[in-house]
Amino acid sequence: MDVREVKERIFLALVVILSIAAVLPVFHVFLSVVWKGLGAIMEAGPSFLLDVPPAPNAGLGGIAPSLAGTLLLAVLSSLLGIPLSLFAAIFAVEFPDNPLAKGVRVLSKALLEIPSVVVGMLVYAILVVPMGRFSMLAGSLALAIMMIPYVTTYVEQALEGVPFTYREAGFALGLSRSKVVFEIMVGIARRGILTGMLIGFAKVLGETAPLLFTLGRDRYNVPLGPLDYGDSISLLIFDYAQTPYANMHQVAWGAALVLTVMFLIIFLISRKFTEEVFL
Amino acid sequence: MIEEKGYALQIEGLNVWIRGKHIIKDVGLEVPKRRILAVMGPSGSGKSTLLRAINRLIDLIPESKVEGRILVYGTDVYSEDPYRVRRLMGMVFQTPNPFPNMSIYENVAIGPKLNRLVKNRDELNELVRWALEKAMLWDEVKDRLDDLPHRLSGGQQQRLCLARALALKPKLLLLDEPTGNVDPVNAVKIEEALRSLLRDLEITIVLVTHTPHQAVRISDYIAFIYMGELVEYGLTDTIALNPRHELTVKFLRGEV
Repeated sequence: MDVREVKERIFLALVVILSIAAVLPVFHVFLSVVWKGLGAIMEAGPSFLLDVPPAPNAGLGGIAPSLAGTLLLAVLSSLLGIPLSLFAAIFAVEFPDNPLAKGVRVLSKALLEIPSVVVGMLVYAILVVPMGRFSMLAGSLALAIMMIPYVTTYVEQALEGVPFTYREAGFALGLSRSKVVFEIMVGIARRGILTGMLIGFAKVLGETAPLLFTLGRDRYNVPLGPLDYGDSISLLIFDYAQTPYANMHQVAWGAALVLTVMFLIIFLISRKFTEEVFL
Repeated sequence: MIEEKGYALQIEGLNVWIRGKHIIKDVGLEVPKRRILAVMGPSGSGKSTLLRAINRLIDLIPESKVEGRILVYGTDVYSEDPYRVRRLMGMVFQTPNPFPNMSIYENVAIGPKLNRLVKNRDELNELVRWALEKAMLWDEVKDRLDDLPHRLSGGQQQRLCLARALALKPKLLLLDEPTGNVDPVNAVKIEEALRSLLRDLEITIVLVTHTPHQAVRISDYIAFIYMGELVEYGLTDTIALNPRHELTVKFLRGEV
């Protein structure tokens, strides 16, 4: 074995070891969640999804209000955020030279990295304080603000990925600009756009910090209107993991598994969208 | 002179700049109705730009500037609403570009549907069939109108694009090297389709090509463009037999 071959092997071994080191924590987290979460859910039974949380050291109960809260928040924030993102993206792509469109572009990239707790504070200041109460609405608004830059960026990229020739073909048919955009470009880019929406949806499912001082953390009642207090699975995990009670730790693990499964479902759907050949 | 009746296309003193570059230089020509004009010339000579100046797709290119006059069946292209003038014309592009997300049927139907040219479903079905027949594609696709176009061969896709353009019943059909990216058999079919269009319809065709053979084979008039200038323009027979300009001779021989 000459020196070069030895170097080659050392290098390969290093790469393999480092790769394992990189993914190991992820696997560890995933397996812990599955293992401990499954344990909790099996013990609690179907009532885990239907019941309210337990008192300290008093069984397992369930996470129904938080689960409902998470789903409702994701839907509400999507209703607020997705249409805005769509139009912002279309505006940015269609009028690249417009100063306002340039602003949208820069802002949406900059907001991608905004600390989420700041968004929570912002909404606390502009909505929670004036209204004098926490609410699902305030939580949804905070999540919508988190979601908009993601969805906008994805939709922008999807639209920009449509080859120029289809635009030309659309205009050559005598179509107006809005028809070219909405009937042709959006149609061709629809999978990318849907993927962007799903990613925005998934993003807000797991957010915690924007909800800390907007939502009110009522985890015993399912929210029925936008002005009700609410809770989310992420907040429940955050709070229960910090309690000294073993049963609440278990509930937190179970809730973590529920959240992970929700992510997996969205991940699989978005994979399905991107896999299908369309060009 | 330019107002004279009987011409399908009149171009006068046309100059086009893109990003400061002078692409089309003082081009002027006239094409009578129901004729084929072949615009030939080497790649990069401005042929595609000329086509896009005629239907104002050039407007989509930032920093483009057009001077001169273009009349299509008497309509002054640059003093009218671009969306309206484009409806007078159809265009087929160099690379087949049927909308990938729409079925074969929808690809043909979309123009008339969005431009509200038909009153009901039956009329639309009729028009789609008519356009596909004119593009000589109907027999091959009539049993799979709901398929997506990527299931078709490149040449079939190009004929689908021809049908899409024809469905608007354009008076002027612009083709940008339509056979450049298709196999010879399909190229022949497209040429046949074009000739039969001229026989049956009130339509005039401008065909851009870089192969002199195609120009000679199919056209009534030839415009030879070189570096943005109109080197020679006239009846195809005259130009094929007696080219006056040295560059034209060279191009016909395949030397430029």
